[in-house]
Amino acid sequence: MSANWWAMTWLVARREINDRGRAKSFWIASAVLLVAVAAGAVIPALLAGGHAAARVGIVGGPAAALSQTAREAGQIYGTSVTVVRLPSVAAAKAGLRSGTLAAALVGDAEVLVNRQPVTGSSIGTTLAQIGGLQKIYAQLPPAAAAGAVAHGIALPVHSLSPPAKNLATRITGLTAAILIYVIILTYGIRITIGVGEEKATRVVEVLLTTLRPVQLLAGKVIGMGLLALGQIAAMVGVYLVLGHAVGSPEVRSAATNIVLVAGLWIVLGYAFYCTAYAAAGSLISRQADAYNAALPLQIPLILAYVLTYTVIYASTVNPFFHVLAFIPFTAPVAMPVLVAVGAAPAWQVVLSAIITVASTVWMARLAGTIYGRAILRTGSRLKVRQVLRSAA
Amino acid sequence: MNTNEGQLELIELRRRFGDTIALDGLSFTVPRGQVFGFLGPNGAGKTTAMRAIVGVAALDSGSVRWNGAAAIGDEARRRIGYMPEERGLYPSMKVSEQLEYLARLHGLTAARAQSAARYWIDRLGLAARSQDKIEALSLGNQQRAQLAAALVHGPELLVLDEPFSGLDPAGVDAMSAVLTERAAAGVTMLFSSHQLDLVEHLCTAVAIIHRGALVAHGTVDELARGGKLRIAVKVAGDEQARWIARLPPGTGGLPAGATVEGITDGTATIALARDEDAQAILDLARRAGPVEQFGFARRRLSEVFRDAVGPGVPGAQAQTRAAMVAAATADANPATEAAR
Repeated sequence: MSANWWAMTWLVARREINDRGRAKSFWIASAVLLVAVAAGAVIPALLAGGHAAARVGIVGGPAAALSQTAREAGQIYGTSVTVVRLPSVAAAKAGLRSGTLAAALVGDAEVLVNRQPVTGSSIGTTLAQIGGLQKIYAQLPPAAAAGAVAHGIALPVHSLSPPAKNLATRITGLTAAILIYVIILTYGIRITIGVGEEKATRVVEVLLTTLRPVQLLAGKVIGMGLLALGQIAAMVGVYLVLGHAVGSPEVRSAATNIVLVAGLWIVLGYAFYCTAYAAAGSLISRQADAYNAALPLQIPLILAYVLTYTVIYASTVNPFFHVLAFIPFTAPVAMPVLVAVGAAPAWQVVLSAIITVASTVWMARLAGTIYGRAILRTGSRLKVRQVLRSAA
Repeated sequence: MNTNEGQLELIELRRRFGDTIALDGLSFTVPRGQVFGFLGPNGAGKTTAMRAIVGVAALDSGSVRWNGAAAIGDEARRRIGYMPEERGLYPSMKVSEQLEYLARLHGLTAARAQSAARYWIDRLGLAARSQDKIEALSLGNQQRAQLAAALVHGPELLVLDEPFSGLDPAGVDAMSAVLTERAAAGVTMLFSSHQLDLVEHLCTAVAIIHRGALVAHGTVDELARGGKLRIAVKVAGDEQARWIARLPPGTGGLPAGATVEGITDGTATIALARDEDAQAILDLARRAGPVEQFGFARRRLSEVFRDAVGPGVPGAQAQTRAAMVAAATADANPATEAAR
């Protein structure tokens, strides 16, 4: 393929970018997606506990030791603590119910919180650990107890299975699945509509007097792909910036991991599907048929997307979903979800990616053949089998 | 100079769609520099042939040669300008952008594409519409934009499918002027029309096809003469051309071999055996009274077509009927003939 070949193909790609870039609907959709991503970044961080300053109540004495315990707990947990002295347990309960207090330490007896978190730690559990240690070693100063909690007094634990991911991580995974699904489906249908438009308006006849079908096909999917990449880059940027602004250290590291895997799969998924959507567009004669022609390509992703919810909210991954993560049609959604819930080790991600890349080559060849044979055939809507059986 | 230079040759083109035979061994040659019409009724196979020429339709057999080369390669294809029968532009793209894009796809630099687009926009009277989307244009203006799209890269071979359909009289004139100018500039041109009479005055030469095969081919003058010279003559005040009937047979009458083919509103069309007989007939008419009209008469292309395929062709019949009405009012144009 000569430089000229690519220059021509790039002209086609650039027209696609200009054409979409001028459409209002493109910018509205981009804005909606960015808002969704921002929500996806902020909500898990809020669920993970929030790390704004916490007010901790103390009841009873000795007040100095109790306030120091509270402040040490805040340091370990990663939040600044304002200590409030309260006259009674009843007052502490009232404060907790009204939400003015995050936790209350009642002497060396107990820690009160409004509601225990489902998983993970909170300022309350940290307070309880430090307070508990101090109670066992009656003379232990708060700082020493905090040090023991921070560095660990238990033997190290190695688990045989990966730890179950917390809800925040799962929701990050769900956000990724939704975005991959939305991006591939919207750009895919755009390609189908665009190819259908070129065929229906006969522009393609003019274009193909100077271009080869494969150039027109490549230019279209490259142009759309670059637009999609730009949109993804903007979303990932917003996600990481917002995530770092509000997220805890654990959420940050988990999110970065999921975001990278999701980014990989959005590219692989687009590459796998884009030529197929173009082939679907080449079969139709009227633009109104675009959605029907594209439907068979959407079903696998819709299936994976719907099953994603069961995986995100259930504690285990069913084997069927695990299999979907290795099939190129469903892997772009299923694999990032498996990673988010901690059910797929790195080697599985790599294996599935290799399968998808190999299938992409196969898909591009098949789609290129269908497109090349069907794009100039006017008349009624064509069937894939009919096109493949016919000569070029 | 290579005799094949610029020449487009269609050789035994065959194409079948199921039971329909679109092209049935179609062969003819289009020389360079002529306004060449590709005529025939609807469904005759013109579009299929033109799509095959520009390489967007496959043939069952046969070949298209240009400049003597067997196949039209990538480089040659960039020098073809093509206007498909229906639309053929992006509805939501602006006129100027669309033309620049197509020019660039045909290998022009950005700067040259821009100036070429501007030139054709001005030339075809679209200057006020250059920033409008194609879908916002009237049908006539869309057609002009479509022609501009075929011309913007300065093609050496122009293939235009029904360029005159949907044009108003001003549009027809503008289109005719451009075609004549391009042919004079040495472009090889083939344009199709099913309205034989609309375009015959414009064409230097034509190929007329019917059911996928050639029925007539040659310059319009040759075809209009059909091997014989015809004259149209009218004596003032003689609405039935009775002066002919009053001529004596033999000497002093019509020259030997001359036959009266028809009389319309007093104008008699007479086919001659020898060109010199025209003067003898003029003398006869003068003797009968003041001559109001005298000139060479031509057969319309629709008549040529009818003669070639015979009656009973529904599309052709309708066209010939229309042609006869037109002929009755506007036949025998001495000005054109004098220039011949």
